[in-house]
Amino acid sequence: MIVCAAVIGQANNPLYLETFQQGSSDDALRFHYIVHCSLDAVEEKLALPRKSPGEPSDAYLGLLYPTEDYKVFGYVTNTRVKFILVVDEPVPKDEEMRMIFKRFHAAYVDAVCNPFYSVNTPLTSSSFDASVRTIIMTL
Amino acid sequence: MPRQCSETCLELLALELVRAYGRQSRVPPAAAVDAIGFRTGRQLAERYTANRARLGEPLEVIKFVCKEFWMEVFRKQVDNLRTNHRGTFVLKDNTFRWLAKLSVDPAPPAGAAATRAVASVAELARDYLVLPCALVRGALAHLGVNAAVTAEAAVPPACEFTVTIKPR
Amino acid sequence: METINAEIFTLTYGSMVRQLIADLEDISAVNKQLDEMGYNIGIRLIDEFLAKSKTGKCGDFRETVDRVAKVGFRMFLNTTAAVTNWNAEGTECSLILEDNPLTDFVELPEGCQNLVYCNVLCGVIRGALEQVSINTECSFVRDVLRGSDVSELRLKLLSLNKEEYPFKDDD
Repeated sequence: MIVCAAVIGQANNPLYLETFQQGSSDDALRFHYIVHCSLDAVEEKLALPRKSPGEPSDAYLGLLYPTEDYKVFGYVTNTRVKFILVVDEPVPKDEEMRMIFKRFHAAYVDAVCNPFYSVNTPLTSSSFDASVRTIIMTL
Repeated sequence: MPRQCSETCLELLALELVRAYGRQSRVPPAAAVDAIGFRTGRQLAERYTANRARLGEPLEVIKFVCKEFWMEVFRKQVDNLRTNHRGTFVLKDNTFRWLAKLSVDPAPPAGAAATRAVASVAELARDYLVLPCALVRGALAHLGVNAAVTAEAAVPPACEFTVTIKPR
Repeated sequence: METINAEIFTLTYGSMVRQLIADLEDISAVNKQLDEMGYNIGIRLIDEFLAKSKTGKCGDFRETVDRVAKVGFRMFLNTTAAVTNWNAEGTECSLILEDNPLTDFVELPEGCQNLVYCNVLCGVIRGALEQVSINTECSFVRDVLRGSDVSELRLKLLSLNKEEYPFKDDD
């Protein structure tokens, strides 16, 4: 199940981070740290050459790195916004993760289309938050 | 298919927003219209690249703008793309829809009046082109390509957009 | 009827409202500006409406409002408005909008609770009707962006101009 979902902006600034696990506030800090560290893995994956020239690259980056208790997955949009999902056992299959990220992406796009949202600022939309919660519940 | 509405809504909105800003003197009109277009362009780029494989270098982004983006926003693809291979691209749209209602009179008056008539259509076109230019610039910027975008419509509805990538 | 992806219209409108707020600063000035712009749009929109809906002269105000709600909203915004709450004299009613492309994705922030985001619609209706010699007043009494389930426009007939036929021969 998904224990943390984060959105990181174009300049690697955090725009949204929510944890979905009962725990002390320690956990929140820990997740911030996990997400922050995952950005290096994202950069590495983005720097890799394409599998073959002309083949389109994927938005889904797959598993970024495992921690002691969790696995961290990443996804990057064409607008260089990153979505990070921290997952607990049982870890979902790649196909499922892709689908979750797609839905996460769709919710993000709708939030960006709010005329009162300013790009690259924290996402405070209550509908975005509600959408994310619905999405993570499907696992 | 995404939600649809009549093209007239957008046409009249764009027309009125250019006119409304032209009627006031509180803020420079072109700057305000540009800001509106830029913001919208960014949002449209976010929407229209969502289900698409990752775009790489600037040329891929420009091609995306000429094909998919132009199709979604301006209902057709760009007719011709030229480049000097040094960061300048010229996008030609022979029937730019946002200028469809603005065409030169097929039988213009002769002499000085003709020149004036053509000049005033060109001026009007320039005002109306601020919005789509800003839209394109916003989309490009949001996709990582910082460029200046200008447009010229010597003979509407044919229109040429010049995209000049800014050096890093 | 040529259609486009509504989101281009929605987003352009949204960016415009945002810009107006930045330029005018005062929310009631923005509301007024939206109404004025709507008016200017309405007086142009009516021609297309009359041409495309092949509308003959409407019998009375009731019929006109019905036409606006069903045909007009469908033709331009691809949605419909329900007409309810007529007063006894038949000069006032409500247009209920459940669904409206203008409000897609919009979430009003704290400081904008007085903003009548869709005020342009009031101006459009007022302007369009004025062109067919019907003078009205139109305003929002309920707004989905400000907590209601639906948006409700209250439309009041003020007066009818003597010349009721927009296409009289000897004009």
